[in-house]
Amino acid sequence: MATSAVDDVSFHVPDHSYLAIVGHTGSGKSTLIQQINALLKPTSGQITVDDFTITPKTTNADLKPLRQHVGMVFQFPESQLFEETIRQDIAFGPKNFGMGETDANKLADAMLQTVGLDSSYADRSPFELSGGQMRRVAIAGVLAMRPQVLVLDEPTAGLDPQGRQEMMALFARLHREQGLSIVLVTHQMEDVAQYAEQVAVMRAGKLVKFGTPHDVFRDAAWLKANQLDMPRAAQFAQRLADRGLAFDRLPLTAEQLADQLAARWPREGAAHV
Amino acid sequence: MANIIEVKHLTYRYQADDARPALDDVSFNVHAGEWLAIVGHNGSGKSTLAKSLDGLLPFTTGDVTVGGIQLTPATVWQVREKIGMIFQNPDNQFVGATVADDVAFGLENRQIPRDEMVPRVAAAIEQVGMADFAHREPSSLSGGQKQRVALAGIVAIAPDVLILDEATSMLDPQGRREMLALVRQLRTERHLTVISITHDIDEAAGADRILVIDDGRLVDEADPATIFAQADRLVQLGLDVPFTAKLKAALRQRGIEPPAAYQTTAEMEEWLWQSLSNT
Repeated sequence: MATSAVDDVSFHVPDHSYLAIVGHTGSGKSTLIQQINALLKPTSGQITVDDFTITPKTTNADLKPLRQHVGMVFQFPESQLFEETIRQDIAFGPKNFGMGETDANKLADAMLQTVGLDSSYADRSPFELSGGQMRRVAIAGVLAMRPQVLVLDEPTAGLDPQGRQEMMALFARLHREQGLSIVLVTHQMEDVAQYAEQVAVMRAGKLVKFGTPHDVFRDAAWLKANQLDMPRAAQFAQRLADRGLAFDRLPLTAEQLADQLAARWPREGAAHV
Repeated sequence: MANIIEVKHLTYRYQADDARPALDDVSFNVHAGEWLAIVGHNGSGKSTLAKSLDGLLPFTTGDVTVGGIQLTPATVWQVREKIGMIFQNPDNQFVGATVADDVAFGLENRQIPRDEMVPRVAAAIEQVGMADFAHREPSSLSGGQKQRVALAGIVAIAPDVLILDEATSMLDPQGRREMLALVRQLRTERHLTVISITHDIDEAAGADRILVIDDGRLVDEADPATIFAQADRLVQLGLDVPFTAKLKAALRQRGIEPPAAYQTTAEMEEWLWQSLSNT
């Protein structure tokens, strides 16, 4: 019998939101996100992305505007760079969608800046760059399509800590300043705690939880049963809570934990009164 | 403790005229049986260092001695007998059509007779928990399973030293934990020395010693508590800091002064509990 990679999943994401999709390797996360721009079409059910509706009957001819609307950054996107210069590589998508050379090049230079590389990079070969820089160029190529939704499949895999932090800050900025909706597939619960507004938890092809990070992370027993990690700060707070230190709301980041600890910190000298 | 590896004044340039060497006058020792973590940002030279230790990159200046044998073009194969390496991307290190073929590759290379090879391969695959997959194609496995097969290949040739070059960085959290647990188990059972190049601060925290590499130089060498006590410096070097150091920084911003020395999570939990429950 054929098994479903994704089975009877329903959820709704508001405009300009930041959604994280978490779950084990093989839980259906990547299958799910490939439906958002119809790289895979549903066997049954439908996906609506703004004005576009994808059904089992949708033909590829209908998909061009959707593909422009939803930018997809796959794992290790730097492996898809191919042009002679960085500018040409970034301009390839817009040109392919009918933009003139001059405009596409201008757009490419602007996108380069958006991802934090200055214009001196434009005429260089993408293959002279470090891994982290190559990934930025690949992301600039996706942003050059002016998508409204950016889908990211483990975008920080293989980067060093500083590279990871810079990459996540870039997505947060695009979300905040340009109103892009972000769909992030990740194993990094720290990133979920810090950046996501909503979390979808996948398990064996099914959506087993959908809610805010706080909804998802506050139930330690449920997380354990689903083999998901808690963010470090929540784990730490849980240990203090187990000893009798009550938290109003389970902190998910070091900043949130420090806020709650500081609020109850004994004032200088007060302990001896 | 005896040194299994001694590195003296190692310098390496990818091109003879490179102004800045990839490794610049690096000297250190690896003690037999220890778990040594090497940390540094991407491009700092840590992978170059690992590859220099078993002659994959022929350095021009300096001395490397492994198990008493000085590494030279004439001894490179003897040195490689003593070192097993696992790289970041498991897909780049498979040669066999099946898991068993792949694990046998290293033994075939060493011209081990077939009746000795077959049981050694089976035992190695068993030891990493992949017996059910012995006749599968490596490409059909998950990332974590692939790294287990790579470990089985190393178990089969029984080296003294295992070098992990970001070997867990492409695995999911569970795959990473299982892989590290397996390495710890093998280390105990087989008295392996482990050198782990890693960005995973929790893994580095479990090491006996940490080397910090920056721009091709060895800038620090100490036990984890000493290294982690300088959290600001780690951030400057583009490295991650342990959770307790992050929490301390956040508390300092709120006018609370925690102890300066590095604390494990259990130690910090105890300190916070004492500070908050004595009121």
